[in-house]
Amino acid sequence: MGDEPESPERRTWLLGALSGAVGTTLAAIVYPIVSFLWPRESTESGAMNVVAPFKANQLPDSGGHWPPPFDFGGKPCLVIKTPGGEIRAFNAVCTHTDCTVQFQPDKGQFLCACHNGIYDLNGFNVSGPPPRPLETYKVDFRPTGTPGEEEIIVSRT
Amino acid sequence: MSPAPENGPAETAGWKQRLWAYLSDRVGLDAMLALGVKKRVPIHRTTVFYFLGGMALFLFIVQIVSGVLLSLYYKPSPDQAFESVQAIMSEVKFGWLIRSVHSWGANLVIGVLFLHLLTTYMMRAYRRPREFTWVTGLLLLALFMALGFSGYLLPWNQLSYAATNVGTKLVGVVPVVGEYLLKIARGGENVTGDTLSRFYALHVAIFPLLALALMGAHLYLVQKQGMSVPPRVAESHGGEDKVPSMSFVPDFLLRDAVGWYLALGILAALAALFPWELGEKADPFASTEIGTKPEWYFLFMFQLLKQLPGTIMDLEWLEGEMVGVLFFGAVGSIVLLVPFLDRGDRSRRALNFFAGVSVIFFIVMTAWGWFDELPLQIILGTSLLLAVLALADRFLQRGTPSRRALGVAAVLTVLVLIAAIIRELTR
Repeated sequence: MGDEPESPERRTWLLGALSGAVGTTLAAIVYPIVSFLWPRESTESGAMNVVAPFKANQLPDSGGHWPPPFDFGGKPCLVIKTPGGEIRAFNAVCTHTDCTVQFQPDKGQFLCACHNGIYDLNGFNVSGPPPRPLETYKVDFRPTGTPGEEEIIVSRT
Repeated sequence: MSPAPENGPAETAGWKQRLWAYLSDRVGLDAMLALGVKKRVPIHRTTVFYFLGGMALFLFIVQIVSGVLLSLYYKPSPDQAFESVQAIMSEVKFGWLIRSVHSWGANLVIGVLFLHLLTTYMMRAYRRPREFTWVTGLLLLALFMALGFSGYLLPWNQLSYAATNVGTKLVGVVPVVGEYLLKIARGGENVTGDTLSRFYALHVAIFPLLALALMGAHLYLVQKQGMSVPPRVAESHGGEDKVPSMSFVPDFLLRDAVGWYLALGILAALAALFPWELGEKADPFASTEIGTKPEWYFLFMFQLLKQLPGTIMDLEWLEGEMVGVLFFGAVGSIVLLVPFLDRGDRSRRALNFFAGVSVIFFIVMTAWGWFDELPLQIILGTSLLLAVLALADRFLQRGTPSRRALGVAAVLTVLVLIAAIIRELTR
């Protein structure tokens, strides 16, 4: 180098190389961090069906003790019997702000206690803030030999 | 700086003087004290509001101390969190006190910050060159609300589980990036043990570090620019430098200390008389209980979400909750940008109108959400309104039309309050 002035091209090139190297380093730091923050696979719900923790004849016809929601792929699943005797299953997560709805058999509706959202027995949002109906699941029965004691199988439609 | 004299007067001085001289030479205590003595705090009708920032700082220190103590027994996992808080409340000596102080302190610090924000606005202390003091202060308020929200989940009870579900879902309705943010916040699709770990890390490490950094910036700016004198006060004295003042050390600091002592007393009384509830352990699949509500400082948002319909004007893409979230985002942005929006008399009138409407909105929604019965809602709402009017009164000059309007509003409010109390008592 000596007393010779540095050439502008060489300076530009060095600066570019330096920026590139620093940029690569930053990317090598940021990418693993962002990936680390992203949820693990295992916590996401994947199950396509589930067997309810009670039998068909354990659902009361009216009043009585209704079984609470149970785990279906990480979401609460609510199984109910309509006054007509039909068994239905719903994703109990309210479509408004993700609270869990409760079944009110005496009123024939679902209530979300967070913001007073009401759904009818078809899961349709009838009053209050919920923007969409509840997600419905398909209900199948697996015979166990004893009539009435069929297993309830809930699956995604 | 010259080294402490080895002989002469220092030798005959007491050990305190000698220690002071020793430290002054090495860490510059003299220089720090000189800064404090040089700093002046103006004296006028609204001087009392200068204490609110220091009060928030004091309560933050209480939160750090009580929070660190709680972390010695708390275990952040869904199997152990609730049980460990239960043990703190029932087995650990004075555990109930430490936890109650921490929970009550969180509420007090946010209350003080709200008042600090409101009175800073009324003093118009955000004027040039203090724009960034305002901005850092508002970010600190947001951070403390985030601290409150993240800490709320840690006991892992039904209430905190529901609150976290709702709060994170609201992040999820932000257009475009919402869904990613929701997953990052929850650490998955649902609120699970991973969410608890995340909130724990946010609550005990990330947010406190951010708070300390922002507070450093905020206090540096306050120190650099000195205390703001409200324009009207400066005018009436014929210039900012003619306003009477006291020195920060020791005059203001000693008064500060009295306030802190008072705050500590209130905090201890609240914690002892009303120990914080623990509730029932969270069951991720149980139906949300009736009467589920967030803390009072989120109640105004919660209440609006309760009132907004599922879809606005039956447009499927225009969901009520999204409109609510964007609305609060817009209001927050306006508050953040107040120093830059105040560009003269006209914009100031618009800002004052906006501030008035915001405060009334906050009061109405909070009172509405707090109680279920109308008379009680009115009693709470009018009481809060009277408190705000009393605050505003200190900023208005006698004989002006706005002062008279304030008087009329106060009288009307008292009449409504009395009517509501009579109604409630005779029910």
